[in-house]
Amino acid sequence: MAQPIFEAKVRLAGQRAIIDMFGEINAFADGDLNAAYSEAQAKGDADILLNFASVDYINSTGIALIVGLLAKARQARRDLLVCGLSDHYLEIFQITRLADFMKIYPDEQSALQAA
Amino acid sequence: MTFVTLERQPESSLSVPGEPQGETVAAPDKQWTHVAEFSLPSEPGNEMQAMQMVATAVQELDLPAVSLERLKTAVAEATMNAMEHGNHYQEDLPVEIVVRRSDDALAVLITDQGGSQVIPEPETPNLEAKLEGKQSPRGWGLFLIKNMVDEMNIYIGDSEHGGTHHTVELIIKTKG
Repeated sequence: MAQPIFEAKVRLAGQRAIIDMFGEINAFADGDLNAAYSEAQAKGDADILLNFASVDYINSTGIALIVGLLAKARQARRDLLVCGLSDHYLEIFQITRLADFMKIYPDEQSALQAA
Repeated sequence: MTFVTLERQPESSLSVPGEPQGETVAAPDKQWTHVAEFSLPSEPGNEMQAMQMVATAVQELDLPAVSLERLKTAVAEATMNAMEHGNHYQEDLPVEIVVRRSDDALAVLITDQGGSQVIPEPETPNLEAKLEGKQSPRGWGLFLIKNMVDEMNIYIGDSEHGGTHHTVELIIKTKG
């Protein structure tokens, strides 16, 4: 059995919560990712930045988890921002149309500057 | 992108994993050369192994990085589908993977070992409905595969383990 390799850490930059994700976003990431989102929503009162800079794999279940986070954010009237996607996963965010609902920045610095 | 479902092809017209040489139904005009074949138990997470093994097998083809990343995603998703929907994560039922190349294309065939369930045609997921909670957030696998490769074919035949097997053939062009 493969071992789950995912971690999510929440920190604040001003009023914005940033979720730094590490490893693989697949079914194993479900609990940790949703817990991190809840923590981020409770900590910050602005939009939430998902930092994918240290993510090396996202599968279709991972896409579904991100859709779930986006649904929660929309319900809470919070914007979800994204940074640090590789070119490949940027293409996947475009194909799946997640990019139509989330502002995507190349890195954390540009995301924080733009907001 | 072409999507073809061929049901109940006679075994003799299919080149199933385990027969390293031969031609596929999808492209009978092509001469395919065997590159590699693997067998993996149906355990959650093993799609990562499949992805890495195929990536290693095609290393000598020197694919552009974009094509390689797309192929890896398609292989991982098709392997996950085979383990989950075909083999129902029964560890003793393997997923078999065969890699072949021709002059202008690369083919990866991924075969499960059971299940009479017909693989549905890939549809574009309705993201708005998923965000509004009207549909499950899942259901991206076939859609992703379809968008990652130049051609996807599905064959259904009798399995040596009893029941039915599905073979998903992923083809990417290596020229043109």
